[in-house]
Amino acid sequence: MAEEKKEAKPKKRMTATKAAASIGPMVKEFITGTLQAKAEGKQKVAYTFIVCHHEEIFRALDVIPVWTENFAGICGAKRDAERFLQRAESLGLSRSLCTYALCGIGFDQWREELGQMPPEAPWGGQVRPDFMISSGQILCDPRSKWYQASQQFMPDVPIYNIDLPYPLFQENRDHREVLGYYHQYIVKQLRGLVTFLEEQTKKKMDYDRLRELVNLSDRTWNLIDETYKLRRATPCPMGTGDAMNTMVPINFMMATQKAYDFFVDLKKELEEKIARGEGEVENEKYRLMWGGGLPAWYALNDFNYFNSKGASFPVETTYRMVAPLNEMDIPETKDPIEHLAWRWLGYWTFWYDKAKKRPGSEPDVERLINWIEEYKIDGVVMHEAFSCRTWHVGLIWQLHQLSKIYKPIPVYMIGKGGQKEKVYRELPSLVLESDIIDITSYSEVDTRNKIDAFVETLESIQSNRAT
Amino acid sequence: MDDKQSNIFDIVKNYYNDYGLRAKELKGGGKQFIGYVCSLVPLEIITASGCIPFRVRGSVHEPITRGDTLLETIVCPYYRSIFDLSIKGKYDFLSGMVIPHGCDSMVRSFSSWSYGLPFSYFHFVNIPSVCDESSFEFFDSELDAFRKSLEKFTGKAITEEHLRQAIRVHNENRDKVRALYELRKAAPPLISGTELTMALTAGSSLPIEESNGLFDQILKEVKGRGKSPLKKGPRIFIDGACLDNIELIKLVEELGGNVVADTICNGARDHFPKTDVGGNPIHALGHRYLDKVNCPKTYRTNKAGTFEGDIASRFGDIGTYTKEYKVEGAILYVYKYCDPFGFEVPARKAYYQSLHVPLLHLEDIYSAGTMSQLRTRIQAFLEMIGQ
Repeated sequence: MAEEKKEAKPKKRMTATKAAASIGPMVKEFITGTLQAKAEGKQKVAYTFIVCHHEEIFRALDVIPVWTENFAGICGAKRDAERFLQRAESLGLSRSLCTYALCGIGFDQWREELGQMPPEAPWGGQVRPDFMISSGQILCDPRSKWYQASQQFMPDVPIYNIDLPYPLFQENRDHREVLGYYHQYIVKQLRGLVTFLEEQTKKKMDYDRLRELVNLSDRTWNLIDETYKLRRATPCPMGTGDAMNTMVPINFMMATQKAYDFFVDLKKELEEKIARGEGEVENEKYRLMWGGGLPAWYALNDFNYFNSKGASFPVETTYRMVAPLNEMDIPETKDPIEHLAWRWLGYWTFWYDKAKKRPGSEPDVERLINWIEEYKIDGVVMHEAFSCRTWHVGLIWQLHQLSKIYKPIPVYMIGKGGQKEKVYRELPSLVLESDIIDITSYSEVDTRNKIDAFVETLESIQSNRAT
Repeated sequence: MDDKQSNIFDIVKNYYNDYGLRAKELKGGGKQFIGYVCSLVPLEIITASGCIPFRVRGSVHEPITRGDTLLETIVCPYYRSIFDLSIKGKYDFLSGMVIPHGCDSMVRSFSSWSYGLPFSYFHFVNIPSVCDESSFEFFDSELDAFRKSLEKFTGKAITEEHLRQAIRVHNENRDKVRALYELRKAAPPLISGTELTMALTAGSSLPIEESNGLFDQILKEVKGRGKSPLKKGPRIFIDGACLDNIELIKLVEELGGNVVADTICNGARDHFPKTDVGGNPIHALGHRYLDKVNCPKTYRTNKAGTFEGDIASRFGDIGTYTKEYKVEGAILYVYKYCDPFGFEVPARKAYYQSLHVPLLHLEDIYSAGTMSQLRTRIQAFLEMIGQ
C-alpha cells in the first residue's frame, strides 16, 4: 500500500547555535517520555495545542501535555507524513484541510485500528491520550474540530474544549472598552479546565504551586524577549532556521525549569558569539525577516540555502509567542488564573496602541514595521502554507499594506522638470508557497529559483544604494 | 412590491439576478444597508438600529480577479467570491459591514475588508466556540457591544422595545419560510428547490418587512398552483454551508431529483431557529445565534460518551428533517478549504449511514465551471437511488 511507504530521509539542517542543535534529542526524549509515562500509568497524558496559556495548569496537576501539532511537525520534518495524510483522506477528509490535523487523525485512526502503533511510527509514535484538551480560539478552527474528528476512533477518550477569545483589532474602537468581559470569560474557561483536570487526575489544584509555575513562565517570557533581542546585532548571531528549533522550549516546554535554563544558556551563547563578532553567516550581506507563515518542516534546509547567499534572518514573527511583560498593562493580581487571562489578552493586544498611532497601520503590519527598523531588515520573506488558514490568511494583505504605508528605501528618480528627485520605495518581499507537512506541494527547484531571484533583487538594491 | 398581478417569481428572479436592486433604490431615500456574511450575525440588532441587514453574496459565474490580489487563494472559494465582488465595488451602496467569527478566514481577513472597502461602519462580532454558561454571559456582553457600536454609528439609542420589535418581525419571516418549506412536503413538492433558494436569496437582500411581504405573495401563489413545477423524482436533501447561487440545486432538479429540504446557511440553518420572546432580548439573541443555529464552527460537548450518541446530538436536525420531508438521498456539498465543515465529513457520513439515507459527498469550488463534472456524479447518484 502506498500509505505504508516512507519517503527518503531529509538532509540535516546545519544550525548556527549549539542550543538549536540540542533540540532534536530533547524532542525525541519528550516523545518517548510520554510513551513511558503512559506505560507506567502514574501520570495522565493529554492531547493538546500550543499557545493556550494553560501549560502551568497542566504541570501544576502533573498532567503531561502531548502536543499533537508537534508530532505532526515531526512527521513532516522526517518526511514521513504522507502515509498518515493518505489515511485521513481515505476517511473522507479533504487534503485542503489543516494537514497537521489530517496527519494526527490519520495516525490516530491507524493506531486505533491496529491496537498498537503504526509500523515504524516516528520516534515511537504518538501516545494514546487519557483525555484531550482542545481550544476553540479566535485563531484556529481545526483546534476545536481535530479532536472531535479523532474521537470517532477513540470514543472513550473525553474532550474538554476551552474557549480563549481576544478582542480583534478594530480601528474605530479602543479594545480596553471590552477587555473586562473578555477577561472574565477567559478566567471562567480556565477555571473550568482546572475542574476538568482535577476530576480526571483525582487531584486538587495546589494554587501555590500554580503561582510558582506562572512566575517561572513570566520570567521565561522576559528572558526569551531579552535573548531574542540580542539577534539585533550585526552580524546576526542566530537566524530563523535555528529559531524553528528554539521554538520548542517556547511552545512545548513553558512552565518548566528546563525551558528557563535553555534560554539562560542560549543567551550566554549569543552574547559570546556577539563578542566574537560571529554571525549566522560568515559574510552577512542581507538581513531578512521571516514575516509570516509556518515553515515547511521538511524543507528547513532552505534556510541554509538563504545563508549560502549571505542572507541571515535576525527575526521572525512565527512562533515568537511571547512579548515583554513589563510593556503590557497587566493588572496586579495574586490569583494565578486571573494573571494567565491578563497575560493572554496582553499578548494578543500588544501591538494595538502602536498600530493606532500610524495611519493605515494594523497590529500585524505594525509589528513588521517595528521589527524591520529594530533588526535593520533588508527584505521580508513569508511562507504561504496552503492547508492552514489560521496563520496564512491575511499575509498578502499585510505585505500590500506594508508597501502602501512604509517605504524605507531611498532611490533617485528623474522628476517632472528633468531633475533628480529623492523618493522612497518599499522593501522587497518574497512569498514562498507550499505546506507545513505535505511535501507533495513543494518543489525545491522552484523554491530555490524564487530565492535566487529575490537575492538578485536585494543585491541590486544594495548596489544602487552604494552608487 | 406593488405589482401583485404579475407572476411573483418574475419579481423574485429580478431581485435575484439584479442583487441589491432594492437596496440601491432605497439608499436614495436615505435608508442605510449594513452588509453581513454568515448566519451568525444577529440581524435583529441591525434592524433594531433602524438600518437594514443585507446578506452579501458571491457569484459562481464571475471569475475571482481583484480579490486574489488581497486575499489568499487558500480561503474557501465562496468567501473569496464574496470578497472579490465587494472589492470590485458591487456592494458600494452599503453603509457598513458586519463580519462574525464564523471561521478562520473571516477572522484573518477582517482587516482586508475593513481597510479595503469604502464603508463608514465595520464591526466584528466574536462568537464563542463553545456553548456553556460562561460563553452565553460573554456573548451577551459581545452583543451589547455590537448594539453600542450601532448606536454610535446611527446616533440613535437601541432600546429593548426596538429589539423586541425586530425579534418579532424576524421571527415572522422565519415562520413564513417554514410555511414555504411545508409546501415541499408534497410529492412532487409544490415549490421547487430552485424557486425556493432563489426566493430566500432575494429575500435576504430586502428590508425584513418587504421580505415578509414577498414570502406572503409566494405562499399565496404556490398554494394556488394546480400542480408542481417538478416531476416526481427522488427526494433529495442538501447538507452544507451557504448555497446562494441556484446552480447546484437546479442541476439536481434538471436531472430529475426533487430538492425538498436542507441544512444550508441561507436555508434551514438561517431560517428555522426562532428567537425566544418574553425575556431579555439580548440574552434571547445570544441563545439563538450561539446555540440554536447549528453551525459546525460551534463545538458541542459529547454528552453521550459514545460516537453514535455524539453524532445523533450534533446532527439530530438532519435526522428530523430527513424524516419530516421523506428524504430518499442526501448530497453533502462542502467547499474546498472549509475547515469547519471539512472536518465533519467522516462523522456526517456515519450519521447518514445510521439513518440509512444514501449520501453523495461533493467537494467543490463555487464555480459554474464545475457543474458539468458534478452532473455525471449527481446523475449516477439519482439513478442509484431510483433503482
